[in-house]
Amino acid sequence: MTQAAVLARDLFDFRAVLLQKGIIFAYSGYVTEPVLNGVGEALKRKLAIQDADTKTVRSVFAIFVEQMQNMIRYSAEKVPPEADIDAPLELRYGVLTIGQEEGDYVVHAGNLVHREDIERLRRRLSAISAMDKEQLKVAYKEQLKAEPDEHSKGAGIGFIEIARRASKPIEFDFMEVDGDYAFFALKACV
Amino acid sequence: MASLKIAATDRSPAVLFDFDNHHLTISGESYPEDVSTFYHPIFEALDAYLAGLGDGSCRFDFELIYFNSSSAKAIMMLMEKLDEAAKNGASIEVYWYYDEEDDTMQELGEEFGEDLEHAAFHLEKMAV
Repeated sequence: MTQAAVLARDLFDFRAVLLQKGIIFAYSGYVTEPVLNGVGEALKRKLAIQDADTKTVRSVFAIFVEQMQNMIRYSAEKVPPEADIDAPLELRYGVLTIGQEEGDYVVHAGNLVHREDIERLRRRLSAISAMDKEQLKVAYKEQLKAEPDEHSKGAGIGFIEIARRASKPIEFDFMEVDGDYAFFALKACV
Repeated sequence: MASLKIAATDRSPAVLFDFDNHHLTISGESYPEDVSTFYHPIFEALDAYLAGLGDGSCRFDFELIYFNSSSAKAIMMLMEKLDEAAKNGASIEVYWYYDEEDDTMQELGEEFGEDLEHAAFHLEKMAV
């Protein structure tokens, strides 16, 4: 094979892996608000063409927005590595995919977290994933009225919003990467 | 008092505060990059208007298609300001319009509306 053919083969195989998993959109890289705009716009159009109903489109979109903003604000993998948390030029790295699985739309998001944050995240996500719709409503309101907690740069209710919009309990997982970091993955279905 | 007009963008709602006619409207989608920066001038204008409203009357229409969790706090603060003005003697009517194809926005309207103790709250379907 020519080198060009190998190039095409490699990328085609990569695409095939994604398609085989039912993935419609995949983004892996540094995430910025304009990336959210652009991918969000394409996502809305794709869902509209697919004839998904209004509520499904809005729910998938809402989950996508919260997941992207979580990565933009909280991913522990960032450049420059030691910048203070409000540095305007800071970039954070994350992976997000949107696909279809057994009739559901599925949004996966993953990013590095500091290992010392695992327990706090695990407790919070376990509590949220065990809540029914009524409990999520109550939690959403409580969180809205509470002051943002010390780790939060937003209103701190992103995970609750994701769980409310999801049609099944959210799933999450952590994998140790090294002494400092773990990879955090979150899955929401609509 | 001069009206406050902010055109909608992809990520932020249209704002039309027609203070002379006491009709204030916020409509569209709200997931701005920086919620504080977007809502700050809106809060300032609303505070100034409500401070001078006395026992006058005002109608506030929420016609939101979608808002993210960071915007929810700002929307709750708008409601709190309106309720406070009603507590102080103003006659405030809050209308929350929802798209009937998305019951999430209806639920959110119910949840925000039930916190109003002094302002009147109306939950309505958007005109198709």
